[in-house]
Amino acid sequence: MLETGIKSRIVEELEKIVGSEYVSTNKADLYIYSQDMTPAEQVWPDVTVLPDSLEQLRAIVALANKEKVPLNPYVAGGNIGGVAIPLKGGILVDLKRMDRILEVNDTDMYALVEPGVTFGILKAYLDKHHPDLMYTYAFSPPSTGVVTNALLQGLDNISFRYGAASNWVSGLEVLLATGELVRIGSCAVSNVWQALVPMPELAGLFLGWQGTTGIITKMAVSLWPNPKHSAGLHFQTKDLDGAYKLLKVISRTRIPDDLIGTSFALNKVSMLAMAHKKASLYPAVTPGPGEPEFTISADISGNTENELKAKLKVIEEVVNGLKDDSIVVPEPTPSSKAAFPMQALAVLSGGGGLMWVGCYGPMSTWLETAIKGCELQDKYDLSRSCYTRVMNEGHFVGLRWMIPYDKGDPEMVKRISDCCDEQLDMVLENGYIPYKTPVWAVRKIEERASPELLELHRKVKKMLDPNNILNPGRWGVPQE
Amino acid sequence: MTLNDVKEWLYGCSHCGTCKDVLGIFVPSCPAGERFQLESYYPSGQVFIARAVYEGTLSLADDDLRDRIYACTGCLSCQQQCGVYHRDHIFEIVEALRAEAVTQGFLNPAYMVLIDSLKREDNVFGKPKSERGDWAEGLGLKDASKEETDVLYHAGCMLSFEPELWEVPRSVISIMKAAGVDVGIMGKEENCCGGRLYEIGYLGEFTKYAEHSIETFNSIGVSKVITSCSDGYATFKNLYQQVDIKKKFEALHVVEYIDQLIKEGKLKLTKEVPMKVTYHDPCHLGRHMGEAGVYDPPRDILNSIPGVELVEMPRSRENSWCCGAGGGVSQSDPEFAMWTANERLKEAKATGATALVTSCSWCERNFKDAIEEYGIDIEVYDIAEIVRKAI
Repeated sequence: MLETGIKSRIVEELEKIVGSEYVSTNKADLYIYSQDMTPAEQVWPDVTVLPDSLEQLRAIVALANKEKVPLNPYVAGGNIGGVAIPLKGGILVDLKRMDRILEVNDTDMYALVEPGVTFGILKAYLDKHHPDLMYTYAFSPPSTGVVTNALLQGLDNISFRYGAASNWVSGLEVLLATGELVRIGSCAVSNVWQALVPMPELAGLFLGWQGTTGIITKMAVSLWPNPKHSAGLHFQTKDLDGAYKLLKVISRTRIPDDLIGTSFALNKVSMLAMAHKKASLYPAVTPGPGEPEFTISADISGNTENELKAKLKVIEEVVNGLKDDSIVVPEPTPSSKAAFPMQALAVLSGGGGLMWVGCYGPMSTWLETAIKGCELQDKYDLSRSCYTRVMNEGHFVGLRWMIPYDKGDPEMVKRISDCCDEQLDMVLENGYIPYKTPVWAVRKIEERASPELLELHRKVKKMLDPNNILNPGRWGVPQE
Repeated sequence: MTLNDVKEWLYGCSHCGTCKDVLGIFVPSCPAGERFQLESYYPSGQVFIARAVYEGTLSLADDDLRDRIYACTGCLSCQQQCGVYHRDHIFEIVEALRAEAVTQGFLNPAYMVLIDSLKREDNVFGKPKSERGDWAEGLGLKDASKEETDVLYHAGCMLSFEPELWEVPRSVISIMKAAGVDVGIMGKEENCCGGRLYEIGYLGEFTKYAEHSIETFNSIGVSKVITSCSDGYATFKNLYQQVDIKKKFEALHVVEYIDQLIKEGKLKLTKEVPMKVTYHDPCHLGRHMGEAGVYDPPRDILNSIPGVELVEMPRSRENSWCCGAGGGVSQSDPEFAMWTANERLKEAKATGATALVTSCSWCERNFKDAIEEYGIDIEVYDIAEIVRKAI
């Protein structure tokens, strides 16, 4: 909490920069920014400001750096990790007004966007102006920020092919806490933002850092040809062992665009949500007699119908090669691509809350980790809600147990928090590392990381943000 | 209605932001959020405010906070976009906040004229009740309070007291006469429906108006009450269900009635009306009616007029952008109301239409005010005015 005198001065300066209409100290605004869908502790910013341009943003950052006041970038706040909660208060910079799509390069297949551009805005723009190109979308609402999703290394619906969202960043413009504006990638030396290579890959100073080392003011992200033909295959398995076999064997074909798995119990609960009813995981719903434990879904595309058919045929052959009578190759259904970005109804219908231990880890320990995570849900009488996505053609896996919950029910909040605590310890034991990492998980990761790595984090943070103003309290926290 | 009455819905929102844009085309859906940009103005922000007020974290004594809850136009577009279980109750939550503010004595000065006027003159404009039927001068209409009549035409406050719009009710009467309808009006005995009172939190006063209107309509023995006011229509159809008096009449909007008359062959539209028009769906005629939203009748009417070419705006039917006048906003923040209208007029203009046609007098007034303020070159008509040209 800022001292009254400093706060008044800062508010006055902010109003000069963006106009009083776009500065708020009203408690209603600050209350909304003090929290997110998770049970993370509420922390209120002192003031929120909504810049419309790079010039305004630069002036805000200069002010914060001069006054040594925390400055927290924000777009939609839907990260399920408390990442946008201003841990030390200060200025919350809501970037939603900086929402311009600056360029779509059809030949080089990238979009250059400002930080406020959402999945929805980009989808609408591409549909209208570049229908042959597509972006990839997360299992999240349309209001999700394109830049923040990439910055936080999210997993999207072509992550099977290309890995985490930070992998398709092809250029960055970053505003440092000290005021410098830096371009990284080909854009640093030309007007084309086609790739980060071949230069020292300084993007790593910013990607995955949760806005603690700089504010992204422009980002180029890859686009892909929109496939003309696509289909979905939904396998059902009686146990997680069967799911594991399928994930491995389908991964090795390198065929799908997307390969995910979900607990069948989560699907059952989701049916309520789809009917606009409250979806509670408690008490646990278990699969009935003959019902599967898990669903594996592969999204497949082709330039021609023949290519699509050939790909489906290959999947059929490798799955039949498992010689497991319990796994039946399903009939293809329409691809789920068209539904993205989606309302993500099911996981947002628990009563305002959504929590998970979401992590990336090796395929080699997937089965053990998935089973233990589900067993912990059993322990807390929660429906199994495992969700997994194979990344980068099987080189690693995204895994989480999605827990919608009622924020107005303290007993439920405690139940899910305790469950997630145990799941976090378990996944770390199994080599899985939380992504979009909540601060409580950052601290646990730091306990396991080498002191040398933590020192490097601190040095990077100190170099780029000497006054520790950018989203402080997360990665690279100065040593006490 | 108190926040306790809606507590079941207070925790439904996760602040996912889906309500901010129209699904599929991802263009803005919430006027207040789009205009003011602060999270507290968006639907999710309103629900969060309600939650915090309910829990005692925020107070309605805060003037700036109350500005936010009165900025909602009640267009219900958020309810159309939201996929979560509380979706049908978002505006109820806003109304509960407003009612709570009134109960706690935090009255909005912008509504004082309206409230006072209703108490004294039974209309929202502070005009003498005796002038309410002036629009019908010279038409020789039956006084439904004295003479037996089959159909009662209820002009509503806006059309009764806004001479610039009198062409609308007069067109309606011409149409009905052309179709041989036995129609009468209440003239100076007509009252406000009370709907605006409900939306700004004066629930007790609303109930009095509802009871009075139902009892009056029942007592004069009409079979149908036809109105040009979309707010009034939604009030008759929806809000009056909260009053425990059986209605002995059927409430219809003019567009429904004209559509019926055309389809029954009682009204012939024969004259060429060479116009390229786009149709604006009033929120109270559309989303406020839920699955009974009146979307097809106005389009069927326009498509049945020789020479009329109807083109659609990207945000139409269930996804229509609000005109900005609803929910008490035209009284509390006319500048914002006109900004919202102008956003719609720009969208209408972009279709290539030369005229925007609507079927709500509040929408029409607000659009005309916005044209005067912002100068966009497009004409605005009530649908009855277009139909009349075709007779």
